[in-house]
Amino acid sequence: MNDIMIQTPQTLEELKNYLSIADESTYILGGGTDFIINMNKNNVYDGTFIDLTGINELNYIKKENGFIKIGATTTFTDLSENEMITTETQCVAQAASMVGSTQIRNCATIAGNVANASQAADCIPALMCLNAKVKIMNGKGIVIEKNVEEVVLGINKNCLKKDEVIVEILIPIKNSDYKSAFCKVGSRSSVTISKLNIAVSLKIGQVIEEASVVIGSLGEKAFHSTICEECLINKEINEELFTTFKEKLKYQVDLAIPNRKSKSYKREAILGIADNIIEKLFWNCYRRL
Amino acid sequence: MQMLMEIKVNENKYRLDVNPRKRLLDIIREDIGLTGTKEGCSEGECGACTVIMNNRAVNSCMVLAVQARNKEIITVEGLAKNGELDALQKAFINKAAVQCGFCTPGMLMSCKALIMKNLNPTEEEIKRAIEGNLCRCTGYNKIVEAVLEAIVMVSEEEEL
Repeated sequence: MNDIMIQTPQTLEELKNYLSIADESTYILGGGTDFIINMNKNNVYDGTFIDLTGINELNYIKKENGFIKIGATTTFTDLSENEMITTETQCVAQAASMVGSTQIRNCATIAGNVANASQAADCIPALMCLNAKVKIMNGKGIVIEKNVEEVVLGINKNCLKKDEVIVEILIPIKNSDYKSAFCKVGSRSSVTISKLNIAVSLKIGQVIEEASVVIGSLGEKAFHSTICEECLINKEINEELFTTFKEKLKYQVDLAIPNRKSKSYKREAILGIADNIIEKLFWNCYRRL
Repeated sequence: MQMLMEIKVNENKYRLDVNPRKRLLDIIREDIGLTGTKEGCSEGECGACTVIMNNRAVNSCMVLAVQARNKEIITVEGLAKNGELDALQKAFINKAAVQCGFCTPGMLMSCKALIMKNLNPTEEEIKRAIEGNLCRCTGYNKIVEAVLEAIVMVSEEEEL
């Protein structure tokens, strides 16, 4: 077993200094809920860990300049209990409330979920669905913005360089015409890893004016389902639309994983998730139909 | 390389020189000697290692010791005061919510964290609070009943 060292910056300035000397053996720790299990099981890591949890400047949820801004160390509990998140970015609140267990949600962070880039991550589809961006800071203090889909490259692969860290998530503020929802299915009802998850955001007027549909756990990374989005746009909300939407989702599974063994399970499972999404998005209409 | 850290566990301050690989669970059991907190799955599935950190239930197997520096921790040993069991512990005994007992410390700490935040939880909120705690003996019903009884006990104590 090799030595490790843990740096515990208390401010962004201190973090910048540690990042400026980061190398291949430097690891950034958010809540650490994935990292610590891996470290304990395999003892694979040696080098320097930079723990972000002591930086109070990175723990916030606020509105500013047309965005809901979420600090990197904001936990899933913070997100799922925040009124701004639950009312204006419903799919993010729902995704956050379904991550792991109470204990995990109390530690795991939104930036950690993005950076870890699991194909089963719950918050990634929700954030992508709302066109969220991430703010990345490097060891020189330079800050850049990227879309969430640019950061996530594949299974546990992200675009971050060794001296870069996610410091903030930015979600564009939408008006009340927009509504979103997130649903998932796993092997148990709680503390479950998604076998399939979906986030949908719609702008609803007389018809559906805009649609964003993101599917996770159906490939190496979450992706926008263009065929599902197209089937919703400019359509009136009725039972026929729901049927078409479900057929398109099923077709999307066929396209995404044509030869995988899990295809037959997922093409059925996605119908159940679709029902849940429809119920969340159109509860009032659904009751009338 | 060792790291110096301070931590408050059950209202006692400790200054420890720890191996940075150690988890909160390891220092509670090995360095502080409080073995009530159990190690089960070591990957956040079973909740046997649950403790309260700054008023929130956490899996101590998923927190590095250093991440708990300067934080306030409550373990199952911190529930009883002046030799008297906490209302939750009494209710667990009254309702026979304990069989083999391995999950009990974690279960108690998840329930305690809930009651610290919400003195009047619904049955659904209790079930959600213990969703990360596995029990293979009692089937959960008695545990939920025990929490409901503890809430009544606490309310009655407050009225006195």
